Amino acid sequence: MSARVGRVAALALLAAVHLAALGAGFLAPYAPTAQNRTLPYAPPAPLRFVDAEGVFHLRPFVYAVTEQGSVTGAYAEDRRRAYPVRFLVPGAPYRFAGLPGHVHLFGVDEPARIFLLGADGFGRDQLSRLLHGAQISLFAGLMATVLSLGVGWLLGTVSGFYGRGVDAVIMRSAELFLALPWLYLLFAVRAMLPLSIPPARAFLLLVLVIGLVDWARPARLVRGVVLTARERSYVLAARGFGASDLYLIRRHISPQTAGLLLTQAALLVPQYILAEVTLSFLGLGVSEPVPSWGNMLADLQHYHVLASYWWMWAPGLALVPVILAYYALSEALSTR
Amino acid sequence: MHGLLLLAGVSLLSFVLVELAPGDYFAEMRLDPRISEATVHALRARYGLDRPLPERYGRWLASLAKGELGYSFAYGQPVGPLLWPRLRNTLLLTVTATALAWLLAVPLGTWWATRRRGPADAALTGLTAMLLALPDLVLVLGLLLLAVRTGWFPTGGMVSLGHEQMPWGARVKDVAFHLVLPVAALVLGIVPALVRYVRASVADALGAPFVRAARAHGIPERRVLFRHALPAAANPLVSLFGLSLAGLLSMSLLVEVVMSWPGLGPLFLEAILARDFHLVLGPVLASTFLLLGGNLLADLLLAATDPRIRTEER
Amino acid sequence: MGAVAGMQARGRGLLVVAVALSASTALAQGAPSSADLLRSEHEVGRAGGRLVFALRSEPKTLNPVTAVDIPSKDVIGRLTADLVHIDRQTQRTAPALAKSWRVSPDGRHYTLELRRGLRFSDGHPFDADDVVFSFQCYLDERNGSPQRDLLIVGGKPVVVRKLDAYRVAFDLEEPYAAAERLFDANAILPRHLLEKAQQEGRLPQAWGLGTPPAEMAGLGPFRLKSYVPGDRLVLERNPHYWKVDRAGRPLPYLDEIMFLLVPSEDAQVIRFKAGETDLISRLSAANFTVLARDQVAGRYRLEDLGPGLEYSFLFFNLNTLDAGKLAAVSRKQSWFSRTEFRQAVSAALDRQGMARLVYQGRGTPLATHVTPGNKLWMNGTLPPPARSLSGARDRLGRAGFSWKDGTLQDGAGEAVEFTIITNASNASRVQMASIIQDDLRELGLRVQVVPLENRALLDRVFHSHDYEAALMALTSEDVDPNSEMNVWISSGPTHLWHLGESRPATPWEDEIDGLMHRQLVTLDARERKRLYDRVQALVAENLPLIPLISPNVLVGAREGLGNFRPAILDPYVLWNADELFWLPSADRR
Repeated sequence: MSARVGRVAALALLAAVHLAALGAGFLAPYAPTAQNRTLPYAPPAPLRFVDAEGVFHLRPFVYAVTEQGSVTGAYAEDRRRAYPVRFLVPGAPYRFAGLPGHVHLFGVDEPARIFLLGADGFGRDQLSRLLHGAQISLFAGLMATVLSLGVGWLLGTVSGFYGRGVDAVIMRSAELFLALPWLYLLFAVRAMLPLSIPPARAFLLLVLVIGLVDWARPARLVRGVVLTARERSYVLAARGFGASDLYLIRRHISPQTAGLLLTQAALLVPQYILAEVTLSFLGLGVSEPVPSWGNMLADLQHYHVLASYWWMWAPGLALVPVILAYYALSEALSTR
Repeated sequence: MHGLLLLAGVSLLSFVLVELAPGDYFAEMRLDPRISEATVHALRARYGLDRPLPERYGRWLASLAKGELGYSFAYGQPVGPLLWPRLRNTLLLTVTATALAWLLAVPLGTWWATRRRGPADAALTGLTAMLLALPDLVLVLGLLLLAVRTGWFPTGGMVSLGHEQMPWGARVKDVAFHLVLPVAALVLGIVPALVRYVRASVADALGAPFVRAARAHGIPERRVLFRHALPAAANPLVSLFGLSLAGLLSMSLLVEVVMSWPGLGPLFLEAILARDFHLVLGPVLASTFLLLGGNLLADLLLAATDPRIRTEER
Repeated sequence: MGAVAGMQARGRGLLVVAVALSASTALAQGAPSSADLLRSEHEVGRAGGRLVFALRSEPKTLNPVTAVDIPSKDVIGRLTADLVHIDRQTQRTAPALAKSWRVSPDGRHYTLELRRGLRFSDGHPFDADDVVFSFQCYLDERNGSPQRDLLIVGGKPVVVRKLDAYRVAFDLEEPYAAAERLFDANAILPRHLLEKAQQEGRLPQAWGLGTPPAEMAGLGPFRLKSYVPGDRLVLERNPHYWKVDRAGRPLPYLDEIMFLLVPSEDAQVIRFKAGETDLISRLSAANFTVLARDQVAGRYRLEDLGPGLEYSFLFFNLNTLDAGKLAAVSRKQSWFSRTEFRQAVSAALDRQGMARLVYQGRGTPLATHVTPGNKLWMNGTLPPPARSLSGARDRLGRAGFSWKDGTLQDGAGEAVEFTIITNASNASRVQMASIIQDDLRELGLRVQVVPLENRALLDRVFHSHDYEAALMALTSEDVDPNSEMNVWISSGPTHLWHLGESRPATPWEDEIDGLMHRQLVTLDARERKRLYDRVQALVAENLPLIPLISPNVLVGAREGLGNFRPAILDPYVLWNADELFWLPSADRR
């Protein structure tokens, strides 16, 4: 596989993931907040082709399920009636690119539900939540990464390139930023925001703060590379010919830091998406009922969920292709 | 000297940050219907929480001078004696895990860099992606679940119930046995990212003009890798290693809580949430020390591995 | 008329002569010494063995005067004893260090007769001086003891007098119903060890976790053996304990209790399942369900004790606000303060759904704040809460609200929207809030749930008053209404929905104030019940707190633990640690 193919594949994968997130309203069979209180932790419904009488159907169908007894999570299928999967069905309203819509890619007739990835504790469709949750999580992860790497790169380059006093000041503040208990700042920011702003916006604001205070680590790494780069003979030579600082940084120093930054970016995006798992425990994540991968994974951290409902791992699995795509992209870009 | 300044800056800014965050340690007491408002006020006054910020900072500095590191509201005793025994346990865990992670990641990443676009590349890419996709807590709980199902490892703590009665050798073995799961959880958490850094740096170096030149001169591949590429790849790794020392006290926080490891983790987490602020500041300051040490070490190593860097006099 | 009252409250009208003494005097023959030992009436067990119990967080102190956190109290409760004890299972008082007590007819003077010949766990004898000293410590303002407020009756501290070496008098400013229940919270301290610290004003610092066991002593069934910071606390059997079993053999049976620090509930469940701990309490319904699946194979037994004393509730901010600073909230208060509005919200809630989804059916919908777990005091005549959306709409319509495109709006045409804050780290509360949000949407109300970190939440509720509605829970320490006093009287510090009221804001709050104060000084148990029933009815009707669910108390123990009698009162499983024993069948390490 050549670097070119790799680049195309990575871009295609990323595009697919982001398109799925954008088109969540249409792709998802239900509204992400629609509760079904009789179906908590309903398992994924298998798509069937052969019915109870052994007859084959070309159009896949599902059975309705009902809870067994008083124990949550025990379900039985009602095999008396099959509910065929229908395409382009009307359903819960949503907005796509600002336009209202109510047609969904697929669905089944009521009272049956098509939970391809099962349901959570409120009987909400995991697939719908996963698709809608991707919108916030992918965006938040990318935004925080760009912010922290951007600030980190700038300060790290300046620090390594100019050295001396500038280096001392920037690196000392980096140490300060690395050492401070930022959690309290997040608490403070949350306290200053009005309670009634939408959960997603509140969360994005916090992500902004996180990205901004998290520049020290990348800065430190970039600085190390710049320290080496500025002493290379061709840099010294260029300087000798009277090249300006800006030119030196742009033409000779930055390319040296690109590989490092790309590797960092590929690692930071999933890290920031996962950071919300911890944040939501502290009331700093995206709050109910709006889904995000972080708050969905936060459910998985409970022993009873982890041990009983395997389909709750879905957001973790969804994260894998995203990580792979970012990784492949960073690989492809750094081996131009 | 600048270390002292940094410590002063960190402590002062931490005081300001906590001041900004809502609620204080005694807030929760208000929920107990049997405790009157007057009692809560009296307690706040006793710990000086009703005083202005500069005065509280002054008091804390005075306590620092006495070697107490401040006073915990929750424990009603100086912070220092609370930290020391736990610090040792945390370091035992994190130093082991960090060392193991680096020992694992450097050879693995180097090997990976030489195996581009093969089945091994694909396998490692997939495996690291999966590990990166799991929140730490899920990883830890998963390991615990494994321990319960198989009974191979203890499900928490640092020693067995009858530890005190064991002979010396058995005690060491006991602790080592209890270390397995938490260390595994930490290593699995660090290695995926680390191994990717190593791989990227080595791959970068292998593609550099001087390495290609060395190859063109017919120098054996092994020698190219170890004599030319690896030293060149060391730069970002050295910075990373320096930074990783700063995390020695905090990286295991969640793991310690879930695996009931008697380290700083449970103490620190509880203190953060309870706004038991002096107790929070203790580990924060200790981490700052480690950070300074790590950065100094990284700068020295940078200069040593790459003679071109001129480190200025500080 | 002085009456010897062993078990009050069972009473028919006045204090009744109960023959609690018969149990305690008759036993002396079996005991080797001449001490006044108490004979237990429960199953005779086997001596020996160790019990392992996990604590959610580390105890902060072993000092009974300053302890506030649950783990500290769990440990201190095993190390110390009180004068009169509340039997956690019967929920009534029973003799402990005091073998009997007399109340003066006006209910203001108590005379307690102490057991003779008892010794602290270090062998030092116990007498009335220790009792007087202990209460002096609890009452001393310098010590900031949380128990102090309980000992202020009618605005004045209780006066404690030594009559002779084994008799103590307590004088109250006003009559105080069920005053003997107050003794349960106050552990008796050894004067010989703590007097110096108290005189020097250092008592709050005494008995920290680092204190050597030799410098501590108590009258409880166990005494401190060792402490490993952040890891464990080991108690050993107290050879001087003052109870014997039916066969006259000394209690406790267990040689050791080991408290392990296991800081997360999930880890506690895992370690219990792995057989590393022997008892588990405060289980969530979800974890109970998971554990229940492997009950037989895991060789443990789980018990659902039914509703406990915890009640969760939704409440609106009815505080007197500074309209300049909190204008938005203060405008919405015109809705919140309408009783019909609160009744409509309450009627729209699917409490059954909450009990099922959040508590897996192990929770009870509540109509008022007293839970069915409180059998002595619950007002049984109140109907259980029923969901009725049409009833809710009627009430809103009558209060001048209307609907436009399905959205509820008030008389001025403003859409009805509010936020509910709750504790982010408590998954059940967030889930309940989420269900409420969904329920109220059907009424056309737009509700937003904002989970906050707990201190931030408390800061808003108690300090800044910057919130619209909140979902919280309270757990009474005791079944008696007196423990709820500060919630219901309008000037009380826990009068959550309207703090710092100088006088009752509404007629029904005024009536509750009167009823609560009257029950406090009424000695007749039936009359008290009648007064408190009325309080419950007023709460159910006016809904200052909209009661939601009382979760069941869920506990578990390893197979083969004898005398395991868990109770719905704190500390649930360890309260009778002195009688717990291992059956021969138990496979113990």
